[in-house]
Amino acid sequence: MFVDIQNLSFQYSKKQQPVIDRFSFTIKKGEIVGIVGASGSGKSTLLRLLAGLEDPTAGSIELDGRLIVGDNTYIEAEKRGVGMVFQNYALFPHLTVSENICFGLHKMKRPEKKKRLNEMLELVQLQEFAKRYPHELSGGQQQRVALARALAPSPSILLMDEPFSNLDTNLKSLIRMEVRDILQKANSTCLFVSHDQADVDAICDRIIYIDCATYIGSDKESIPV
Amino acid sequence: MKTSIWLREIRRRANSWFIITMLGALVIIMPVAYVVLSFFQPTGENWEHIKEFLLADYVKGSVILVGSVGFLSTTIGLVLAWIVAAYEFPLRKQFKWLLIIPLAIPPYIAAYTYSTMTSYTGVIQSLFRNYFDYQFTPGTIEIMSLRGAVFVLTLFLYPYVYMIALNYFEKQSASYIESAKTLGLNGFQMFFRLGLPIARPAIIAGSMLVIFEVLSDYGVASFFGVRTISTAIFQTWFGMYDINAAMRLAAWLLVIILGIFMLERFLRKGRKYDTNVTQSRPLARKKLRGWTAWLAFLSCSIVFFSAFLIPFVQLIYWSLKTYEKVWRADFITLITNSLVAALIGALIISFFAILAARTINLYPSASSNLLARIMTSGYAVPGAVVAIGVLALFITLDEKLAFIYPKLLGVESGSLVLSMSIAMLITGYVIRFMAQGFNSVESGYTKVPPSYREASFLLGRSMTYTFWKVEFPLLRGSILIGFALAFLEIMKELPLTLLLRPFNFDTLATRTYQYAIDERIYEAAPSSLLLICLSILSVIIILRFEEK
Repeated sequence: MFVDIQNLSFQYSKKQQPVIDRFSFTIKKGEIVGIVGASGSGKSTLLRLLAGLEDPTAGSIELDGRLIVGDNTYIEAEKRGVGMVFQNYALFPHLTVSENICFGLHKMKRPEKKKRLNEMLELVQLQEFAKRYPHELSGGQQQRVALARALAPSPSILLMDEPFSNLDTNLKSLIRMEVRDILQKANSTCLFVSHDQADVDAICDRIIYIDCATYIGSDKESIPV
Repeated sequence: MKTSIWLREIRRRANSWFIITMLGALVIIMPVAYVVLSFFQPTGENWEHIKEFLLADYVKGSVILVGSVGFLSTTIGLVLAWIVAAYEFPLRKQFKWLLIIPLAIPPYIAAYTYSTMTSYTGVIQSLFRNYFDYQFTPGTIEIMSLRGAVFVLTLFLYPYVYMIALNYFEKQSASYIESAKTLGLNGFQMFFRLGLPIARPAIIAGSMLVIFEVLSDYGVASFFGVRTISTAIFQTWFGMYDINAAMRLAAWLLVIILGIFMLERFLRKGRKYDTNVTQSRPLARKKLRGWTAWLAFLSCSIVFFSAFLIPFVQLIYWSLKTYEKVWRADFITLITNSLVAALIGALIISFFAILAARTINLYPSASSNLLARIMTSGYAVPGAVVAIGVLALFITLDEKLAFIYPKLLGVESGSLVLSMSIAMLITGYVIRFMAQGFNSVESGYTKVPPSYREASFLLGRSMTYTFWKVEFPLLRGSILIGFALAFLEIMKELPLTLLLRPFNFDTLATRTYQYAIDERIYEAAPSSLLLICLSILSVIIILRFEEK
């Protein structure tokens, strides 16, 4: 399995109930998996645990055969090779579109970096916007920059946290198709979190339903609770 | 949680940022802890004498001064803030920031300026005598003793309440005031029934700042001969040369401060504030006409004239008379000393403020809250108390390190190295004014979403790189404000500098004070003026960046 999560648990403080309780699941390479659940069900926390932005209280995570979290192991977020598109996109406001995209390409040499930047701009169709700052872009364009920035360093898995929640309804359906195309072209493994069934229906190969991060069911046929 | 996971957590968080932050917190807490520990030390003869004959007087002096200044400056600050926030009148925009400027005049400078101006030979009495042939009965207008100290401290500390209350009225009160208008409340009713109760957190916060400043004051109280605990610490130290008794007085002052903190908690208890934060919308001001507009204009003018323009113009006049005499080669040294000490102090403060604010932002938890409290504790601890703690700590350090000094520095065994150096003074500044730098950087961090940092980590960037390329550019304004605030306070600081400076190290503040207590008031003017101009510059920088 490409991603193997076993008995993962997490709680924000000792006084509170666990947000995620002994949660296990797997993802195959190249799969686009959607996680659906109500607000507070722990779906975003699951992404943050996988990314290395939160520390689990128990359990293990393996990524591409490498143990990234275990009882004695903790690989920091910057060394996991995981890409993430945040709900608010988190585009650096003081950097241009190209500077944002190149931010994670520090291991590449200059010509290589330039080539990769052009590939990414072409992939998200934003060639003319390379010199613009995030506040000079529309919501949909910002979303595509965030996607390009996350995909640029070729992460082993892409995590998307409610990436369409800031877009209006008309734009949403168009962007969903675009994202699906981009992900397929990039041949990425992707874990996608949303509270909107239509988002995951349009994009994902497989859907997991969770409630308080307890596994309820999987596959498109499952009934959400 | 399993032990192995717990150990994993410790290993993760123990990075260099975290370790340096903890060292900084330790440096801040140590001197204060030292003072508290003096409660457990055996007492000497001097302390028994102080306790029996003087302590009650000192406490009484401090309480009267704190009570009067606290009440008066809160009233002035609050009324001015309400007028400027809720009404439109001639020059309102200018008064909005002009009324902050008195902060740039250190109260001890105002003390000697006003006391000279109102004396028999001063400008006011001379004017009435020479032009109107009128003689004041002795004691009518002279600014002296307790009355003088209350007058000066009130006039030069009200801006703390004014600034906080103004910000609160402008940003938080719009919807309350609008609904009160629809309920038919008039101007005065609005202030007493609405303005006062809703601004309670701002009133408490502002008054607390004033109270801490008054408790910390040494210059004004000693100039007017008011006995307070702060002046007593000086007398015990320099008069009796008894550092242990001075430490005990400092410890008592800390107890009073703790009491005030508990009172603040009690006053805030059960009140939920800031419910309206998300709906912050500017307040629509009511246009005043006729005599009411004049009244508002006059109130602001009178305060601005008395708290800034009159003493400032007087200082310019005196400076013109004396600058040639005072402007000696060592004046440049004074300026350099002041600037260098303030610059180094403010730089170190900014460095630790960034580290601590970042650690707290990165790992929010109960222990980070404690760290924040420690970092900001200095603002409530009077300069004299910080000074005693730092001195005691440095002397102990010198004793412990005495064995390596001869080998390392080639000095005689038993020499005092650290406690005779400028490092001791700078340490005092850093502890006392860390809150200014820290609060500013911490509030800056609230405007930088954590997802920026997280995005950078996920793009493979290290913690340090993320700081320089992502957080620093977005925090620049807040860091600069914190730096300017700390710089301003260090430039003005008197008690701490008097107590901790190395031998023969004078700053603009200490020289000004020296001239003043030697009754060479005119000679004190040029250095005072320079100090005020530098402070105004810092205030302007702060105001400009805060508006951005």
